[in-house]
Amino acid sequence: MTFWQVVQHSWGPLMDGLQVTIQLTLLSIVFGLALGLILALGKVYGLKPIRWFCTAFIEIIRGTPLLVQIFIFYFGLPPYGIRLSPLEAAVLAFSVNSGAYQAEYLRGAIQSIPSGQMQAALSMGMTRWQGIISIIMPQALRRVIPPWTNEFIYLLKYTSLAYIIGTQELMAQARFVASRNYEYFHTYLFAALIYLVVVLVFSEMFSWLERRVKIPGFEYHK
Amino acid sequence: MLGLGLGLAVAIPISFLQIFAPQPFRLLASAYERVLRSIPLLVTLFLLFYGLPSFGIRLAPFTAAVIGVGLRSSAYQSQIFRGAILSISENQFRAALAMGMNKIKAFRHIVMPQALRLAIPPWTNELTIVLKDTSMAFALGVVELVRQGRYIIVATREPLLIYLTIAAIYLILTLLSNNTLGRLEKRLRIPGIGVEERAR
Amino acid sequence: MNKEKGSVLRIEDLHKSFGDNHVLRGVSLEIKRGETKILIGPSGTGKSTLLTCINMLTPPDSGKIWLLNDEITASRKVNLLRQKIGFVFQDFSLFNHLTALGNVSIGLTKVKGMDRKKAREKAMEELKQVGLGDKASSYPAQLSGGQKQRVAIARALAMDPQLILFDEPTSALDPELIGEVLTVMKKLANQGMTMLVVSHEMGFARSVADEVIFMEGGIIVEQGPPAQLFSNPRVERTGEFLSRLSSLFGEEDEK
Ligand SMILES: Nc1ncnc2c1ncn2[C@@H]1O[C@H](COP(=O)(O)OP(=O)(O)O)[C@@H](O)[C@H]1O
Ligand SMILES: [Mg+2]
Repeated sequence: MTFWQVVQHSWGPLMDGLQVTIQLTLLSIVFGLALGLILALGKVYGLKPIRWFCTAFIEIIRGTPLLVQIFIFYFGLPPYGIRLSPLEAAVLAFSVNSGAYQAEYLRGAIQSIPSGQMQAALSMGMTRWQGIISIIMPQALRRVIPPWTNEFIYLLKYTSLAYIIGTQELMAQARFVASRNYEYFHTYLFAALIYLVVVLVFSEMFSWLERRVKIPGFEYHK
Repeated sequence: MLGLGLGLAVAIPISFLQIFAPQPFRLLASAYERVLRSIPLLVTLFLLFYGLPSFGIRLAPFTAAVIGVGLRSSAYQSQIFRGAILSISENQFRAALAMGMNKIKAFRHIVMPQALRLAIPPWTNELTIVLKDTSMAFALGVVELVRQGRYIIVATREPLLIYLTIAAIYLILTLLSNNTLGRLEKRLRIPGIGVEERAR
Repeated sequence: MNKEKGSVLRIEDLHKSFGDNHVLRGVSLEIKRGETKILIGPSGTGKSTLLTCINMLTPPDSGKIWLLNDEITASRKVNLLRQKIGFVFQDFSLFNHLTALGNVSIGLTKVKGMDRKKAREKAMEELKQVGLGDKASSYPAQLSGGQKQRVAIARALAMDPQLILFDEPTSALDPELIGEVLTVMKKLANQGMTMLVVSHEMGFARSVADEVIFMEGGIIVEQGPPAQLFSNPRVERTGEFLSRLSSLFGEEDEK
C-alpha cells in the first residue's frame, strides 16, 4: 500500500483515537490544574506541615516516571479492591502527574509577584485570603500562561503512554491498525503527522489566546 | 545515559547550524527540532522499531530505544544550547574581536565558557527527563527497570509494592543526579550568570 | 485650615526588634485631626518600621497605638482598622493587573462591598482629584512614576481614610516628576486631611507641615514646627542631619 492508501484506510480508527487522546488531555489538564492550584497554594501559603506535605508530594511525583504512575493506578490498585477502567486510570495518573508539574509552575509565578503587592492589599484592609484571590492570583495566573501552554503540549504527547494499559487513544488505534495491515512505517508515520498537526494547531491557538489576554506590563518572551 | 550522550552529540551541531549556518540549513535545523519536539517519544520509538524493518532496517530494541531517546533529547538540548549561546551578548563577542582574537578563538574562549555554564541547569533537567523517559523503552521490550518489575510481579503477585519500589528507585536516581549536577553548577557558578530553567 | 481638637492617632512607647536589632526604642507621638506631620531621619532609623507598625503590617513588640478611640494594638479586627488608614508606598505598589480605575475601585468593591457602578464613579472622582481623570483606563506599566504615585494616592483616598501614611512617596521618582506628587499632597493637606509623611523634601515640609519630627536610632530626637526646627534646632544631632540634607539636596526653592 502507498502512504496515501494507508491514510485512507486508517483515517476512521485514528480519528476515533485522536478524539480519546484529546479527551484524555483536556480532562487531565483540568483536574491537574485544580490539583496544581491546591498544591501551589499549600506550598506557598500553607502552615508548615501542609507546606512540607505539598513539597514532598510534588517532588515524588516529578521524580518518578509517568509510566510507573500509570501502572500503579491500573495494576497496583485492584488487589485492594479499587478497579479502574483504562481510561479512568489514565486520567487519574495524568492528572496527578500534571498537577505536580503545574503546581511548580504556579508556585514560581506566585513567588515572582513582588511582596509589595500583598502589603498594599493588606494595607487597604483586605484579608490575606482576599489578597491572594483578588491581587496575587490574577497576576500569577497571567504569568503562568506560557509554561502552562507548554505543559498542555507535553501532556498531549505523553497521553500516548496510555495505550499500554489499553486506553483506546491515538497510539492504541495506530497499533491496532498496523497489526492488521502490516504497514507499520506508514501507519505510525500517519500517527506522527496527526500528533504534529494537533500540537502545532494547539501551539498556534495558545499564542493567539496569549496575545488576546495580554495586559501591558505582563509581556513575556518564550 | 547513551541516549543522553547521543542527544548531546547531535544537539551541538544542530544548535550551531541554527545560529551560524546560512538560511536554508537554519530552516532545516529548526524544522528538525520542531518536528521532534511535537511528536510523542513513543511514536518515534515505534517508527524506529516497527517501521524501519519495512525498509529492511532491523534495529535491536535496545538500539532503537537509544536512538529514539537520543533524537528526541537532541531536539531539546539543541534548544538549550541555542538559548544559552544567544543569551551571551553580541558585545562579549565584539569585545573579544576587538582584543584581536579571531572568530573561532572568541567563540572558544569567551562565548563558550559562559554559554556552557548557562546551559547546566536546563541540561540537568533534561538529564532527569531522559532518565524517566527510558521507562518508555519498556514498550519496545527492552529489559529495563519496569520490565524487570513486571517479571517479579508475575512471580510475587504484589503489583503495588513492586511498582512503588520501582518508583522509589527512579526517585533516588533523579534526586541523586539533580544533586550532583546542582553541586557542579554551584562550583562553576560565576556571579551574574544564571538562567531560568525549563521545567519538564 | 480647619483644625479640631481630637487626636486621630496616638502612639505610646512603641518598641520593635528584628532579632537582635532593636529598631524602635520607645516612640510616642500624637497627630490631631487635620494635622500634617513630617518624619525625617537617616536611613535605617526605623521610619518605615514605625509606619508599618501603625497599620500592623509589622506587629509591634510592645507599646500602644490608638486610631481615634480604637486601640489598634489590641484589636482583633485589624483589617477593619486598616481601611481607615491609607498607606502610600515608596515603590507605589500599584496592582499591576488592574487599570488605574481598577486600582482605585478594588478596595471599594472587595473590602467595602460597594456595588461596581458606584465604586467606579467614586474611583473616577478620586482620579480627577489627583489630575488623572484621563488615565483611568491605563495600566500601571503605561504610567510614569509620578502618575503611578498619584494613582496610589487616589487609591488611598477612595477608602475615605481618617489618616494617610506616606513612606517616602517621592524618593523613587525622577526629579522632574516629584513636583506633581507634592502638589497633590499639598492640596490634601490644605483640604484638612490628616497625614504622617516620611519625606526629606524640605521645601514641602516648610510649606505644609504643622510639625517636623526628627528620628534617629529608634527614638524621636526632636520635634517642632518646621520654621523653628530648621532654623534653630535645639539638639545638635538635628542640626548636623539637616545640614547634611541640604548639602545633599541643595537649597530648596520655595514653590
Ligand atoms: N522585615 C524586617 N526584618 C528584619 N529587619 C528589618 C525588617 N524591616 C526593617 N528591618 C531593619 O530595621 C531597621 C530599620 O529599617 P527601616 O524602618 O526600613 O528604616 P528607615 O525607613 O528609617 O530607613 C533596619 O536596620 C532594617 O534592616
Ligand atoms: Mg524607609
